[in-house]
Amino acid sequence: MAKITYYPGNVARAGASEVEDMIQPLCRALNIQLVELPRSSSDGGNIIKQATPKLQDALVARNLALAENKGLDVLTTCASSHAIMCNTAQDMARDPVYASQINNLVVRTSNIEYTGESKSWHLLHYLVEEIGLEKIRNAVKNPLKMNVAAYYGPDMQREGACGNDDPFMPTYMEQLFEALGGHAVDYDSKCQSVGSTSVLSLEDTSLSMTAAVLSDAIDSGAELVVSACTISHVNLDSYQSKAGRVSGKNTIVPVCHLSEIVAFALGFYPDRFAQLRTRVRLIGS
Amino acid sequence: MAVVAKVWIDEDCITCDACQDICPEVFEVTDDSSMILAAVRTDGLFDRNEGGSLLTGTLGAELGDIILEAAEACPVEVIKFELVGDGAAVTEVAAEAPAEIAPAAVAAVAPAAGASDELNAVFAGDRTINILFGSQTGNAAGLAEKTAKMAGNYGLEAKVVDMDGLDPASLASMKRVMIITSTWGEGEMPDNAESAWNAINANGPGLGSTHFSICAIGDSSYDEFCKAGHDWNGKLAALGGKEAHPLQECDVDFDAPWQLWVNEALPLLACVDSSGTLQVELLEEMKAYGSGDDDDAVEGDFTPGKIVREELTITLELFRYCPEAAESGWDTLTCSVPGHATVQDLLISMQQDVDGSLAFRRGSGAGTPTTGIRVNGRVALSDSTMIADLTSDGGRVRVEPLPGHPVVRDLIVDTSRYENHRSRAEPWMRTDPREGERLPSGAALGTMEPALATALHLAGDVQSFQLIQAMSDTLAHDSHYEGPGVHFQQWLRAKDPRTGQEQRRSIMNSLLQRDGVWSEADHASLMRFGEDGRLAAHSLNEARMQLLNQTKYAGKHGRLVKWYGRSVKWTGKVNETTLYRQVLGPLGLVGNVFSGVSARMALAFTRNGSPPIRSLQSLLLPPAGLGRIPNMINSKVHDYHEVVSLFNEIDQRF
Repeated sequence: MAKITYYPGNVARAGASEVEDMIQPLCRALNIQLVELPRSSSDGGNIIKQATPKLQDALVARNLALAENKGLDVLTTCASSHAIMCNTAQDMARDPVYASQINNLVVRTSNIEYTGESKSWHLLHYLVEEIGLEKIRNAVKNPLKMNVAAYYGPDMQREGACGNDDPFMPTYMEQLFEALGGHAVDYDSKCQSVGSTSVLSLEDTSLSMTAAVLSDAIDSGAELVVSACTISHVNLDSYQSKAGRVSGKNTIVPVCHLSEIVAFALGFYPDRFAQLRTRVRLIGS
Repeated sequence: MAVVAKVWIDEDCITCDACQDICPEVFEVTDDSSMILAAVRTDGLFDRNEGGSLLTGTLGAELGDIILEAAEACPVEVIKFELVGDGAAVTEVAAEAPAEIAPAAVAAVAPAAGASDELNAVFAGDRTINILFGSQTGNAAGLAEKTAKMAGNYGLEAKVVDMDGLDPASLASMKRVMIITSTWGEGEMPDNAESAWNAINANGPGLGSTHFSICAIGDSSYDEFCKAGHDWNGKLAALGGKEAHPLQECDVDFDAPWQLWVNEALPLLACVDSSGTLQVELLEEMKAYGSGDDDDAVEGDFTPGKIVREELTITLELFRYCPEAAESGWDTLTCSVPGHATVQDLLISMQQDVDGSLAFRRGSGAGTPTTGIRVNGRVALSDSTMIADLTSDGGRVRVEPLPGHPVVRDLIVDTSRYENHRSRAEPWMRTDPREGERLPSGAALGTMEPALATALHLAGDVQSFQLIQAMSDTLAHDSHYEGPGVHFQQWLRAKDPRTGQEQRRSIMNSLLQRDGVWSEADHASLMRFGEDGRLAAHSLNEARMQLLNQTKYAGKHGRLVKWYGRSVKWTGKVNETTLYRQVLGPLGLVGNVFSGVSARMALAFTRNGSPPIRSLQSLLLPPAGLGRIPNMINSKVHDYHEVVSLFNEIDQRF
């Protein structure tokens, strides 16, 4: 059984609690043992970084050190959290002096330090590279049977944060959807930002960006959009109607989290999956 | 094992194909003679190699024995070669016995040790040569590139200049100019030279220190054969320019006359010293230097390394846009290209061999900042991005215009919005009068510590600010936003200690405005584009840090940062209720209620059956402490005092 620590990110145990519902059974079904990090904190969400980069890096290094303390890597479902962990790890590896400053702070406050041993995995890359599509394909109980568009976002689509996938023309989620019995829909905007970190402070721009992504997916034949980023899901789903009104574009399409769609296909929460299928049938293109 | 330095074909080849059969990697037999393939030669030409161009890379070693075998098999003994062995060169003729060992005669790019003092004096100054091209179908542009490659043989630093956008006033500062231009229609200028021609006629500069030579391409079946070239020749002479070598006319079969011209004109122009004087007495020595047969050349191979990669078969998808018909679409074709070819090489081939109307910006081949395109999702410079770095054999190369700018035609974008913003932002140096170093004119000169100068340089060491501008996903959605490329330059200027206080204040005020640094919705869209994107995002974050201090966290952005930090400090987690309430305020929350955002969030309308009460509580109710919110939402993380300690150690403002 694969063993890895779990970092829920900033919203999976708050506004996006459906992610939390899914991740545990999903991992059990694929023989992945999740180890809790009850001392882990928010990673600063690239917001605290705007005031004090060092504080955000210290928070992240502390979380990584907690995983390292258990001799394990970290798994997260949020592209933004995964990218933040990769950034801090890379910045510390690039600059040993900076790394030692951060570690001094972490040691002083928490009595642990991050040496760079543990690394972050996004659920997507872990499933494709560590578990394998064949194993997932064999575990499918409810094939998706719908046209699914992947939303990657920009956070993890760069060298060093997206495994062996192409940062600019990724295909991992599409491969995964096919393995789950769905039909993957390709579209240009799948790595474009929807401005999720700025939706509160820069709403109009953020909604326009959200509408551009959703309408592109719909125009390409998507019946469902699956987000690899938990925080971007807020824009894609909760702000969907408003984005449509602001931009004048068609943005109405069901959106769900990556962990949800995998769990559904593996046979969990069939009632919720039925509800999703109904929504897809009613409003999907 | 024989190591061959160069190989060439003498006259009287009987085209028997023997050499090609033995060594097809090097020889190709045409109707007239056996030729040395361009791919194996440092000069990239395809002919008999009478000029004695060296073999590229390690080919001489890898194919040495086979070349010798081909030479031995030649029935008329016209295959000649030069061997290199044990650090020395051995000159052989065909398969005869080795001759006496002579000193190595290898190409030297630095002034030769044995050159006369006069020649070294010429090499000491500015060695720029500007090669201007006026091209309708790409032929003249291609010749300009080839000419530029050969200019290095004479110690010249070639700059290939597209006449499109050429400021004629800049000609006055050019000491050496070569013009290669075609003639279009009935004696007209090619499209890309039209505006430069009109401008120089309206207001031509004095060209007293400019030496030039012109290669005119045309079609002798037209009455106005090579008229454009003659027009330029007459105009430059009329403005005081000195014709270093007479104009060369080229008919449709232009390779041979162009070669003739370039062999004569280049060494002549190379004899123009940095003061603009033609040292014609050095011509013979310069020719000898350029041909590489200087016995006194310094030893060692100074030829720049050339990366040769396997040929790839790719599917090219090329964006096309025709403004007259207002139609856009994709051209798709399968082709084979050397892996080391750049995207620009590919586009030039397309233009020359497939569709002469393809429009794109060309660069000098060394990362020209204005050659930005999007290729396979990346923003990149077309003249420095290799195909092999984008795809593998059988892969796809998708070329599009640079994002964030309106498209003019095909891959050409209109960068005027960026230029206008940049012009208004004034990111150039304006110092205050100060004590300290002074220029000879008496003007104040700002000084800087070397370590700071290095740090400042590294902070802004990017290929192209235009590319930085195109990295933003936000730019296309906010017509007021000035863009990261502009703000990056402004922030670098604000950090520069030589910048005057007034300019620094002006920059910071500008960055704070509605169209300033807070307009970028997501720095992640920059971060993904390698080191350049990382540098830009880092700098723009620095600017935000300073502005937050300056404004004491006022405004929506300030409140977002302040309350995000505070909520994490309270529990170790983010409290969304606090954020929404503090950043949006009561009116914003009510607005979300009426716009349906709250309903979608809280009532789980679009979720898949998760208990709605959780979301409702997490998003609308006041934060922690009421005792009715599920523990998973508002509980503190274990040992959360450690998180508080981190905040207290690093930043107590939260």
